Amino acid sequence: MASEKVRYMADTWKDWCPGCGNYGIITAVEMALKELGIPPHKAVDVGGIGCSGKLPEFLAINGVHTLHGRPIPVATGIKLARPELTVLISAGDGDTLGIGAAHFVAAGRRNVDITLLLHDNGVYGLTKGQASPTLGLFIKTKALSKPNINSPVNPILLALASGYTFIARGYAYHVKQLKEIIKAAIQHKGTALVDILQPCPTYNNVYTKEWYEQRIYYLDEEENWNPVVEKPEELEKKMEQTIAKALEWEERIPLGILFQDKTKPEYFERLKIRIPFIEDIPPYKQPIDVNGKPIVDVAQIFVDKLVI
Amino acid sequence: MVDLVFEIGGPQGGGIESAGQMALRVFMLKGYRVYGTREYHSNIIGKHSYFNIRVREDRALAPNLPADIVVSLDAESVFTHFNDVGEFMVYDTGVLSKDIDSIQSMSKYLKARVKEELDANGVPHTVDGVIKLLDKRGKKTVGVPLRSLLKTTAERAGVSLVSISRAINTIGMAVGLSLIGVELEHLEKAIELFFAGKQKIVKPNVIAAQVAYEYAKENFSSIHRKKMPDGPHVNPVKPRLVVSGNDIVAMGKIAGGLRVQTYYPITPAADESLYLEKFEDFPLTPEAAEKLGLERGGIVVVQTEDEISALNMAIGASLAGARAATSTSGPGVSLMAEALGYAGIIEAPVVITLYMRGGPSTGMPTRNSQSDLLTALFQGHGDLPRIVIASGDHEEAFYDAIKALNWAEKYQTPVIHLLEKAIANAMKDLFNPDLSSVVIDRGKIERNPPIPFPRFKYTEDGISPRAFLGDTVVWYTSNEHDQYGRRNEDPVERIKMQDKRLKKFETAAKEIPLEDKVTLYGDPDAKITLVGWGSVKGAALDAIEILKEEGINVNYLHLRMFMPFPSEYVRSVLEKATTVIGVEGNALAQAAQVVRMFTGFEIPHLIIKYTGRPIFVQELVDSVKHVLNTGDKKVVLSLGQ
Repeated sequence: MASEKVRYMADTWKDWCPGCGNYGIITAVEMALKELGIPPHKAVDVGGIGCSGKLPEFLAINGVHTLHGRPIPVATGIKLARPELTVLISAGDGDTLGIGAAHFVAAGRRNVDITLLLHDNGVYGLTKGQASPTLGLFIKTKALSKPNINSPVNPILLALASGYTFIARGYAYHVKQLKEIIKAAIQHKGTALVDILQPCPTYNNVYTKEWYEQRIYYLDEEENWNPVVEKPEELEKKMEQTIAKALEWEERIPLGILFQDKTKPEYFERLKIRIPFIEDIPPYKQPIDVNGKPIVDVAQIFVDKLVI
Repeated sequence: MVDLVFEIGGPQGGGIESAGQMALRVFMLKGYRVYGTREYHSNIIGKHSYFNIRVREDRALAPNLPADIVVSLDAESVFTHFNDVGEFMVYDTGVLSKDIDSIQSMSKYLKARVKEELDANGVPHTVDGVIKLLDKRGKKTVGVPLRSLLKTTAERAGVSLVSISRAINTIGMAVGLSLIGVELEHLEKAIELFFAGKQKIVKPNVIAAQVAYEYAKENFSSIHRKKMPDGPHVNPVKPRLVVSGNDIVAMGKIAGGLRVQTYYPITPAADESLYLEKFEDFPLTPEAAEKLGLERGGIVVVQTEDEISALNMAIGASLAGARAATSTSGPGVSLMAEALGYAGIIEAPVVITLYMRGGPSTGMPTRNSQSDLLTALFQGHGDLPRIVIASGDHEEAFYDAIKALNWAEKYQTPVIHLLEKAIANAMKDLFNPDLSSVVIDRGKIERNPPIPFPRFKYTEDGISPRAFLGDTVVWYTSNEHDQYGRRNEDPVERIKMQDKRLKKFETAAKEIPLEDKVTLYGDPDAKITLVGWGSVKGAALDAIEILKEEGINVNYLHLRMFMPFPSEYVRSVLEKATTVIGVEGNALAQAAQVVRMFTGFEIPHLIIKYTGRPIFVQELVDSVKHVLNTGDKKVVLSLGQ
């Protein structure tokens, strides 16, 4: 465990709106890292653009604020170079399911050991409330002059289809429960999605605290709920139950771990087939010179091109 | 002095690639330098492709025409290349009656031009007609019954005809080689080298070569050239390799310590990443292995979902301490524009290897161009300097790939390494690169950084010490920021931080030696100066030699680094000349515009080519003479199919 004195929160003033779900999320992140005893310099938070993307700025761990939609590839690059790091992503629903949707899908296919905290509030807050990819069809929030005519994307289903090996959903105002979910996500070896339902008190007057709290419930309180795939043959059944839960929305909204597949190899396991030592000596650790001199000989490596 | 051009054409997927690769090895074994230019369509099978192989004793760096010999494996090659023939045309007697209109794969525009020429010479629109025309022109036309020789080969090898149908390329090529006096044993060795380890393929191909040589000896002894003399490199002291531009950049990157490469498949860049992938787990030299206690190195090569991801992922890897690069072409680099700016503002070392092809948009994916220079210099919004280096040949590309990795880390900046299809796909012989003068310089790295770390500390030279994610707590943001990497829009600090970033490039301009930026070839006092860059180099070096023999003293200013640009030196060279001619492979004369922007010197004469084909030596010679004779401001080149 890290010592009590270790600080995960920076003293930067947080410029989120009063009541913003991000206060809950950042506290959950802080507590999760603290309880897992991950030292601040061994953790990285990679942010997108928008209110969610400001998380790295307010934390005292490594922070990499990126471009709109691009935190997933940046986080992937960090993890590939230095797998010992705990790599989190703080990104919005626009970041991950709009402009960066290709990366969201690709992340599932690769299964790199990163944790995606998806700030899901249905709106583009920082640009004053436009509809995001998760806002329901025909919903008119107060910031919209007319109802939304796009159907929402379901992040849980998209993650499942893309091959995510850990899919959970949390609620921004339930900090303790969210912290536990984030801890489980970090401890999972593979790409983990935590879809965090998050009221935006400024712009989303439809998916409000009250609206959510009338609907949310925790799966682990249900009898016999087991989302874990331990053997490949269980996959189909577990996916079916996840799909059923992912489709619940209007009446009841399930929270907790919706799916976890322990059978699929994480990316480094796959890389090791090609480069056996790569996890022990990952890119950042590899020497590339001896006293400033190269350590390879072209003719020794590229034997297929020799003409002798 | 030997200066030979061997051209071989046929349908894509029909073994043209292998034939060219084998022929290159033959001439290398014979002791020569070689340069093999490949032309092909964006097509998997059936469309026309060809290899133009230049063979010289001292330097082979550019394609040339006419070809001493054209080997046509099909009718389309005869129609496409009959005007390339210098001495020999080898063709398949099985296609003599073929009419040009029956060839579906051939462009209707080329057909129309060819028919017009055949009509003007009063010959029919058939292969036979073309051969008659060549005979009339005094060329040596050599008909070979390819199918029947293939049958003989199959019988002798004891295999089915179908299983060795591709050996037809070996037969055609072998006849060609025998005509110019190359010994069979070199071809046999080349076949073994090219198909190394695939004995099932080696044997029938060797037999095919023997059958072809026998046939040529029996039938063409009267027109046969005498034995080709051995070149100066028959027994080279150093190992020799044959590499494409893509290969050599991959080799440079491995030598330069690259550890993460990202890419999205695109022509003509992808082969570099595939080659890196092939050798992703590679041996270290015995000496290094002993010192480091480590036998092997490894490169993580990631095929990403798009080029946006490719550059962002490379940036991420670089922040965590790995040398990282991505490799792409025009459409891909367009997608990378935003991430380029990101790397700029967070001062992330990253190399973008950019292989230019015909644009704009999808353009001509498999054809050459030098039209992405302005993109490389100016793409991305904001005040965003970067380092841009352009390689002129394979050897430059190797060392530039290493230097680009050094500069990226030293100046903490994106580096764009420009290459072009003409280099990427050209095959070149190479002596095993000398690494003794190569330095790996990672710049300022703080190995025991405090927590938190002032990543963007103001310094004299603008370069702040870097620390890797995981060694301390580091903060990066795409926003403007303070010395700790925290978002900051204070007007006073903004000036300091922006100036700090610009300062790095003043430092780079001072520190990077002139010889890495520009080279003047030929007589420094010549009054006529050609200015070019990239693959223009090969044609220009030959052209100034040929012109000198004709009594015209010309030198060649080879531009390599476009940012930071060696303005003073370039201006001084250009102002000294009485006639300056810009030579480049794009329609806007982009380098000429850059020269004007950085030096104020307006290049008065331009020789440009944007057909998608490389500049051939002879057409450059002719066009330089044309400019000197007429004073024309612009000549547009168009040689080559």
